[in-house]
Amino acid sequence: MRAGQALSMVVLMAIGLAVTACNVVETNNQAEQAGGPPAGGPPPPPPHIMRAEMAEGDRLNTPMEGEALYSNRCGACHFDWGMGTNLITKQQLALGNPPTMGLLTNREDLTADYVKSVVRMGKGAMPRQTRVDITDSELEKVATYLGKGK
Amino acid sequence: MQLTLPPGLSPQGFDGAVKALQGAVGAGWVMTTDADRDAYADIYAPGPETLWGASGAVAPANVEEVQAVVRIANERKLPLWIVARGKNLGYGTAAPRMPGSMVLDLGRMDKILELDPTLGYCVVEPGVGFLDLYERIQREKLPLMMSVPGNGWGSVLGNALDHGIGYTPYGVHASNLCGMEVVLANGDLVRTGLGAMENNHAWHLFPFGYGPSWDQMFSQSNLGVVTKAGMWLMPEPETSLELIYDIPNADDIGWVIDTLAPLKVRGIVEQSIFIPSWLGKMVILGQRKDFWDKPGAIPEWRVQELLKEHKLGYWQVALRLYGEEGIVKAQANVVKAAFKPHLDAPPQERWWRQGEPTNVMDTTLGVPTAVPLQMGDWVGGRSAHMGFSPVVPATGKHVLDQMHRSRKIIDAHDVDFYASFTIGGRFCNNVNMLMYDRDNEEQVEKIKTLFNALIADAAANGYAEYRTHLGWMDSIADTFGFNDHAMRRMTETVKNALDPNGILAPGKNGIWPDAYAAQRGRNLA
Repeated sequence: MRAGQALSMVVLMAIGLAVTACNVVETNNQAEQAGGPPAGGPPPPPPHIMRAEMAEGDRLNTPMEGEALYSNRCGACHFDWGMGTNLITKQQLALGNPPTMGLLTNREDLTADYVKSVVRMGKGAMPRQTRVDITDSELEKVATYLGKGK
Repeated sequence: MQLTLPPGLSPQGFDGAVKALQGAVGAGWVMTTDADRDAYADIYAPGPETLWGASGAVAPANVEEVQAVVRIANERKLPLWIVARGKNLGYGTAAPRMPGSMVLDLGRMDKILELDPTLGYCVVEPGVGFLDLYERIQREKLPLMMSVPGNGWGSVLGNALDHGIGYTPYGVHASNLCGMEVVLANGDLVRTGLGAMENNHAWHLFPFGYGPSWDQMFSQSNLGVVTKAGMWLMPEPETSLELIYDIPNADDIGWVIDTLAPLKVRGIVEQSIFIPSWLGKMVILGQRKDFWDKPGAIPEWRVQELLKEHKLGYWQVALRLYGEEGIVKAQANVVKAAFKPHLDAPPQERWWRQGEPTNVMDTTLGVPTAVPLQMGDWVGGRSAHMGFSPVVPATGKHVLDQMHRSRKIIDAHDVDFYASFTIGGRFCNNVNMLMYDRDNEEQVEKIKTLFNALIADAAANGYAEYRTHLGWMDSIADTFGFNDHAMRRMTETVKNALDPNGILAPGKNGIWPDAYAAQRGRNLA
């Protein structure tokens, strides 16, 4: 059971590392200044990261680019400390990969087809996304953006 | 998922309806492939997803298109299931109560129409998510603070209409609704409250109308399609102070409620006070197997060990006060004095002041997040959860009585006890999380048996659920049996009068129109 406790701490530390290593935001140390959490504990969560705004226009033939679409349609879970990032970080650690791989934008092994499949079919805790959540046109751009693996 | 036709509709009739809908909203916004049906299925379904399978989905862009869809549905006898953003995780997600219903997905209607920091309200369409509203407030640097539920991915209106709860002074979300625009089943458009007058300036400010008020009839309801509504928002407080108490023992919840509820009723503490048990803290630390690797419930001795190892109390009260610093300090003194006779240890104190950053998971400071949903990972596999959520009076006696009875039943089913109490006023929402791996059939069956036992026991003792999953909508409606279900008779009379073809969300919360009366009691979990 001590192993379990240790693992859980490693996971939380790793999620914190994913945050700092990517340098997306400054870590908010307000909680620490106020006396918590205890020394040696996991770092406090960062502030909310704003998503890109959706542009006006026909979502069935999107004028937006993959990066902004990814930010708006996927950012709710796949930014630092998002639910998706937290769970993927655990999976990546278990595979022996660095915690930074919890962020999909850091991954070099994703292919566009894989991204499309997971978005539409779901995976683990990831729900299947409807074509209102993300249209085929939007998903095409997001898949190209994330799919760096050839 | 294969196509299940709505009851009474032929393949040809369905095809005709789909073509008519395509004409109304555009072909790209009528979604009827097998993959679309999968996407609208309940990903947490306790059993086969086909029990609550949609025939497809239609997504209008504006109120005129909603009216057109509803008229087509009437002509073609196509039942619709209304969702705002469809993120009702644990209660059916976007899936319909009656298989074959077409999901009316309002997710494209995502405009924030008004945002008023002076009087503290917004007017939003159903597709506006908590994150959308939060980010708009941040971008415009408006002094407003939202109240957000555990799942910030969902819809502001959808959550309020389904009686969702948050953790600020505005935590009873349905109470913040003020003035709705609603498409009725015949396609007519009404505005509730003062909105019934053309160009009324106080529509979203005054909570009543002239004569009877109808707003609540559209919540947890299948009597209309809410296409926009006013929601009150809290002015951002000058400061906020969090007081954190770890409460050592399970039965201490009795004195905790008796200490806090009077402060809530008197207005000393304004927030909806969330009191999770220890498991609420553990579930985001890892998976269950990291802490207990046997299938049955974690035994009490191990629970005590874990509490020690992780320096947790059985409960945690993370109470928040909001307002001007002097007032907050005075409120904090009253709270501390009330806790002192029970707990020697002073609370941890964390101040926040306007302008300081908040963190990504600060739900009590109105930051939307989906991280609480991560708890599902606790059981592993394709994890899911449901909530057994009776409403109990906010007294120690009622809370302990409910907890002892439900705990006995949960223990007898060899399932982990994971409860929380949220004091929303003179009542508590007692949410008992029931988590399961969807691919573990034995576990799913056990959870269903347990859920049925809990509902029956609570009803027999005078407690009702505030909200439930599709598969129990009829069962819970059955527990509201006063005068041989007089309320259901009344609501169904209204339903049949407003919606003679029964096309709007048949079966929602146990309200069945005559047109689909044969479906009552079918497709339960």
